[in-house]
Amino acid sequence: MPSSTMPPNRVLLALALAALGLVWLLNLGVVQPNRIVSGTGYGLYGATGWGGAIIVSSLLLMVCVLAAKPVHKRFLGLAALLTAALMALPLLLEVFALRRLPSDSAYARIGIGAGFWCLAFFLALMLLEALGQIKASRRLQLSIVLLIVAGWWFCAGREGLSSLSLIREYTNRADQFSQALTVHLSLSLGAVAISAVLAFGLALAMVRREHWRRPLLGLVSFMQTIPSLALFGLLIAPLGALSAAFPVLQALGIRGIGWAPALLALIAYSLLPMVRNTYVALMEVPEAVVDAGRGMGMTEQQIFRQVKLPLALPVIIEGVRITTIQAIGLTAVAALIGAGGFGTFIFQGLGQAAMDLVLLGALPTVFLALAADAILSALRFQETSK
Amino acid sequence: MRAWLAPVAWVVLLVALAALLPAMKPLFSWVQPGTNNVIYTRDSFYLLLQSHIWLVLMSATIGTLVAVSAGIFVTRPAGRDFLPLVSQIASIGQTVPPVAVLALAVPVMGFGEKPTLFALVLYGLLPILRNTLAGLGGINPAVLESARGMGMSSAQVLFKVELPLAGRVILAGIRTSVTINIATAAIGSTIGARTLGDPVIAGLVNGNTAYVLQGAVLIGLLALTTDSLFEAVEKVSGRAFLSSKQS
Amino acid sequence: MIELKGVTRRFGDAVAVDDIDLTIETGEVCVLVGSSGCGKSTTLRMINRLLPRSSGDILVDGEDINKADPEALRLNMGYAIQSTGLFPHWTVARNIGVVPNLLKWPARKRDERVNELLTLLGLDPATDAIKYPHQLSGGQAQRVGVARALAGDPNILLMDEPFGALDAITRENLQQEMLRIQRQLNKTTVFVTHDIDEALKLATRIAVMDQGKIIQHDTPEAILRRPASAFVENLIGKGDRGLKLLALRTVGDLMERYPQPRKSEPCTDGLSEADSLRFALSVMVWQNSAELPVFNGAREEVGTVKREQLLQGGA
Repeated sequence: MPSSTMPPNRVLLALALAALGLVWLLNLGVVQPNRIVSGTGYGLYGATGWGGAIIVSSLLLMVCVLAAKPVHKRFLGLAALLTAALMALPLLLEVFALRRLPSDSAYARIGIGAGFWCLAFFLALMLLEALGQIKASRRLQLSIVLLIVAGWWFCAGREGLSSLSLIREYTNRADQFSQALTVHLSLSLGAVAISAVLAFGLALAMVRREHWRRPLLGLVSFMQTIPSLALFGLLIAPLGALSAAFPVLQALGIRGIGWAPALLALIAYSLLPMVRNTYVALMEVPEAVVDAGRGMGMTEQQIFRQVKLPLALPVIIEGVRITTIQAIGLTAVAALIGAGGFGTFIFQGLGQAAMDLVLLGALPTVFLALAADAILSALRFQETSK
Repeated sequence: MRAWLAPVAWVVLLVALAALLPAMKPLFSWVQPGTNNVIYTRDSFYLLLQSHIWLVLMSATIGTLVAVSAGIFVTRPAGRDFLPLVSQIASIGQTVPPVAVLALAVPVMGFGEKPTLFALVLYGLLPILRNTLAGLGGINPAVLESARGMGMSSAQVLFKVELPLAGRVILAGIRTSVTINIATAAIGSTIGARTLGDPVIAGLVNGNTAYVLQGAVLIGLLALTTDSLFEAVEKVSGRAFLSSKQS
Repeated sequence: MIELKGVTRRFGDAVAVDDIDLTIETGEVCVLVGSSGCGKSTTLRMINRLLPRSSGDILVDGEDINKADPEALRLNMGYAIQSTGLFPHWTVARNIGVVPNLLKWPARKRDERVNELLTLLGLDPATDAIKYPHQLSGGQAQRVGVARALAGDPNILLMDEPFGALDAITRENLQQEMLRIQRQLNKTTVFVTHDIDEALKLATRIAVMDQGKIIQHDTPEAILRRPASAFVENLIGKGDRGLKLLALRTVGDLMERYPQPRKSEPCTDGLSEADSLRFALSVMVWQNSAELPVFNGAREEVGTVKREQLLQGGA
């Protein structure tokens, strides 16, 4: 496309208009008298007054204008504008708390409404589109994400947001939270690490012995098919019996419920993506490259270490990425069998109908998964481009 | 015909077990000694099975309709602007754990079957959308060019060439989606949907391993049955191509 | 008859086809030849409206092609491309039958047509019809591609380097078939290639293109004898121009014909009437003979051709 005729960007236009409609239609926030009772909702105007309503609406209208008009370097400007908007977004809640929180009640708190989530989601989508249009590098994308996270982190620490229900739930159990983080990470990363070692051995065995391929792949994909809740459940009885029979195991903490069945199940689930990717990676090294190595007088060991493994690494890392994301999600489910982690908050919250406790478990789980995705994607990209 | 043997056998096993579990009281008494309540009786296993299947079936149907139409829309000239964003959403969205989607549906929609269905549809359409895009995008451009060159209309190109060629990949996406949703629906018990997860959750809460086992076995069997059904469908629909080479 | 009048096609700021005029008579084979990026494929794709043109008019039998809807236009134009574009999920028979199906021919007529075309292109209706494209060799796939283009009995045939991806021997065979089929069917054909030898062999008239313009539009012989520019001269190759001219004519054109065909002795070596003069010269040089007998299809000796004649009057 020549620079003289820039068509309007229909995607941004549609997103901005949808966001504008939703932010006016839905509740931006809720004031709750305590943590259980669902409170009164406030729309954009009710929550933030004319000031907030005008700022938010004019921001979205500005996006519309920039999307429609062929302004020079408009997508760069849009990306900057949207990044700033996303960073400052929690300030809307602060204004809301300042205006609407009753000062006389110690239990009163504010909750985040659907309007706020929609606004955040649509702003993120618009940012994604703008970054795509300027063909942002991975480094730029990552910096922008970090900037936004830093902005939210800063806002969360401010006094003005201490009445936010989510933050109240956090401050009430800060210790439990850091413990949940440790458990969640060690369970999921531990499972990934163990399954990586196992999978590497299995994949090697499949490469060396062709007839092992079908039964091994069949076994690991069979395990992948069993739903998590079922597998966790099925492990309780045998592990419980083992632990009862051998006191040593019990002393180690291995029981029918708790971390042991969780770890076992997580490893079982991790095997399929890990084995499949490692096997495919090793098999897909071009025969010509291996032949060239042989021709130059490398031993089989040298070929494996210096040729096959480096070439296979990006695909293996992709396997680790899929496995890690999956393990982080499944660890949350494992809270049902008492394994701990962020799932504990989710299921406790569901049990007590305390929605912000649910959020306190669900949001970090999502965040961990996205972070794992970002880090491992970057690692794979680096390996591929070497 | 032989392709259908395995799924039929699984179905028979699943139905038979759902009927026979209550009769296996001695076995479960052995697993869970010290109590008389070793068989989950709040709902019949049939009812749970039926409602579990209904949830997954509904979500798969809605998810497929939405995802395939969205995939078609963004690959037509009118919607092509949306393609980069939609394909990014499809891949980033799959990073979010399904249990988190389930949990986040509750603040929005409350407890019960509705939020479960909503979460299943929302999460389940991502793999289908992604595969629809991959399937439609993976078609050899020369094939599309010659289809148009032959004088096919856009609709004929879509229905006679594109969708049949992308069909296998889309089907694989539906299979992934259904597999995930059978598991997620089971967890839906925690937000008040009636599914085969009920006995498991009840068993976990009350420390009754027998309940847990009954639910877990049925959920596992349902998953294996469904998987073998898809296996058979893929085998039958793929027969014509032999090797799935796309020239 | 296809007429292009002042046709231009721009992609953004780049001009792919620059104000060309070209008339293709009914029943002739017009070959567009030029290096890659010269606009020859773009020109072809504007004729069946796979690409819209930026300006100018294209008329088919006097009618503006923009008047009809594009599908109806394309149904009446066979289209074959280098990568065949066969539908991988359909059998050979169904691939060939696609246009008859779109035209809603009765099944029987369609099946007869498919069999007829399979035979015409040297494929076996019994065994090849039920194969899938990935089971075919490159040459077979291209035959199916041509058969598919012919299936709806279109008046016009558009071919975009259909033999470009084939090995030399298969290509040679298909070019021969193409000539044979064209003699039978007499379709108005627009054929795109970058191979000047293919152009010389198949064309009634050649349009040489460079940078979106038509440099020369003439018969193969005229192009060889009077290249319009250094570019054309370079394209046809200065060195073996004489041989290429010889290749355009057959032994039948130049030979001394006997009043009566004679019974020949078996095993006599000689030429056939359809051989090119280039081939005749090659045989003479190889056998060091000044004169060779010429046979007709029935292996009767119908005349002779002399080396002297060939050197003087051949080119």
